[in-house]
Amino acid sequence: MSSQRVSSPNNSNALKTSLPTAFASVVEESSYALPSQEEQEKYLEGRPGATSRHLGIALQHAQQIQAQKDAEDLILDRTIELLDIPTSPNADPAAPSTEDKQSFKTAMVLFRPGDYDNFIMERNYSELCGYGLCPHKNRKQVGATGSTFHFKYGAKGSGQGGRGRSVDIVPREMLEKWCSDECAERALFIRVQLSEQPVWERRADETEAIKIELLEEHRAKRQKKKAGPSTSASTEPETNEADITAGVENLKIHGAERSQELALERGDTVPRLRQGRVDVQLREKELSSDSSPAAPQLRPEDAMGGSIEGYVPQERQKESADHQDRDILDQL
Amino acid sequence: MDGDVSAHSQEAEKETTRLWRTFRTVYEMLADRGYEVSDDELAISLDEFRQKYSDPMGYPDRNKMKIQARPTEDMKVKYTALPSKSNPNPQPDCGIIYVDFCPDASGVGTKQVRAFNHIVGDNNIHTGIFITQTPISPSAVRLLSSLPNHICEHFQEQDLLVNITRHELVPKHVLLSPEEKSRLLERYRLKESQLPRMQVSDPVARYLGLRRGQVVKIIRKSETAGRYASYRWVI
Repeated sequence: MSSQRVSSPNNSNALKTSLPTAFASVVEESSYALPSQEEQEKYLEGRPGATSRHLGIALQHAQQIQAQKDAEDLILDRTIELLDIPTSPNADPAAPSTEDKQSFKTAMVLFRPGDYDNFIMERNYSELCGYGLCPHKNRKQVGATGSTFHFKYGAKGSGQGGRGRSVDIVPREMLEKWCSDECAERALFIRVQLSEQPVWERRADETEAIKIELLEEHRAKRQKKKAGPSTSASTEPETNEADITAGVENLKIHGAERSQELALERGDTVPRLRQGRVDVQLREKELSSDSSPAAPQLRPEDAMGGSIEGYVPQERQKESADHQDRDILDQL
Repeated sequence: MDGDVSAHSQEAEKETTRLWRTFRTVYEMLADRGYEVSDDELAISLDEFRQKYSDPMGYPDRNKMKIQARPTEDMKVKYTALPSKSNPNPQPDCGIIYVDFCPDASGVGTKQVRAFNHIVGDNNIHTGIFITQTPISPSAVRLLSSLPNHICEHFQEQDLLVNITRHELVPKHVLLSPEEKSRLLERYRLKESQLPRMQVSDPVARYLGLRRGQVVKIIRKSETAGRYASYRWVI
């Protein structure tokens, strides 16, 4: 498990632009070994109806299933690892340490809301607050014993029309998941950011697009935006320029390692998928000559409206014969 | 104060009785699967159980209730694959079974399952059965099945309160050995995929600890034919 540590320093550096380190490392480690050419041939010999194409498709599906299993294992590993954070028993859930924050966020990218619920349940079972970065115990025995629901009163003036207090009726087990209302808010703020799509079906760029933000970070950002739009505006172009130059430098593919990252980023994790299932060959249409087509010219038989797909109506045939006769006479 | 004590002892008595029934079903289950179980163990009475496994307060002590059993020769035959070219001398795919009752009354998660997996992995145990009082978390279920080369099963105590296979409407399920299975397929000229199927999550399949690919013979009473046998392929 230690080899798949969420944020080992050298790994996080290498994959700055690409997939989160966690998933990338697993994909590299478990490079699904295809059977060798010999094995494939031997397998096909015993089955007269099967072709190598069938085998290829079967292998591809097997790999997909394997990828799913691996991803599920990974999520389980992360769930168990995250039970041990925060590392210090008196950490502040509002201001977690950078390491904890980092490992929490990287793990959360892989989770679906359902996995997150399991994770909360798991934390509650080990008597911890459901919010991953909180070291406190969860509340027990909220309200009267034996009651399934609990009344939660809001602040004065929070009721309808600004009068009285608002009342929420909350199931007790929902309250007992957290140590405080603040932690509940923090934890649920994480939950709404998770993607419903499972990791093994996500494309690399989709995984990359998921940026988990803690509630405190979100609030700080919002305040900054409100406070000083003028000051930030002056510095923006500079940073942008610097970003662009850095980005252009990053564009080059340095060696095999970077190209592998690129393949990952494009979602080409399965080697067989790189060529695709269907053999597609692009071929340009060859033009016979470069001259433009000639404009149509009036032929003598078109004078009477011509033929209908090669058929000339009989009446018209007679007429035209008469005409021709006359015409010739005229000419003479 | 007096009333309090009697309430406690009543509670303890109730729990002991329930657990005793579960405990007996576990032994019956082991015997039905083909493990070596003595007659004394099978017919343990409530008094004996109370003497052996209750703590000073009168409550049952689940930490004491650990069971280990070895497979019988018959069972070993049933679990030995047919010799093939690549494997001319197959070994039986079964071994010591270990049953553990989890003492925690609620919230059984990965922590307890990890401890259980540890015991199973370290002590050269082939099959482990983990029995809890409450449902275990989804991650714990995954963790339980993630141990390579070992089989870990999970039951809740209430699932084993009564022995379902002793119910009159549940027909007799007999596991076929690989040889019997191949003879069956030969006789009816079938592929195994052409047999009727049964899920591994089926209550009886779980009770018998069936594995994917095995075939069971189901013997029913029939009004017209006396006895009627059908077969199920476990998937």
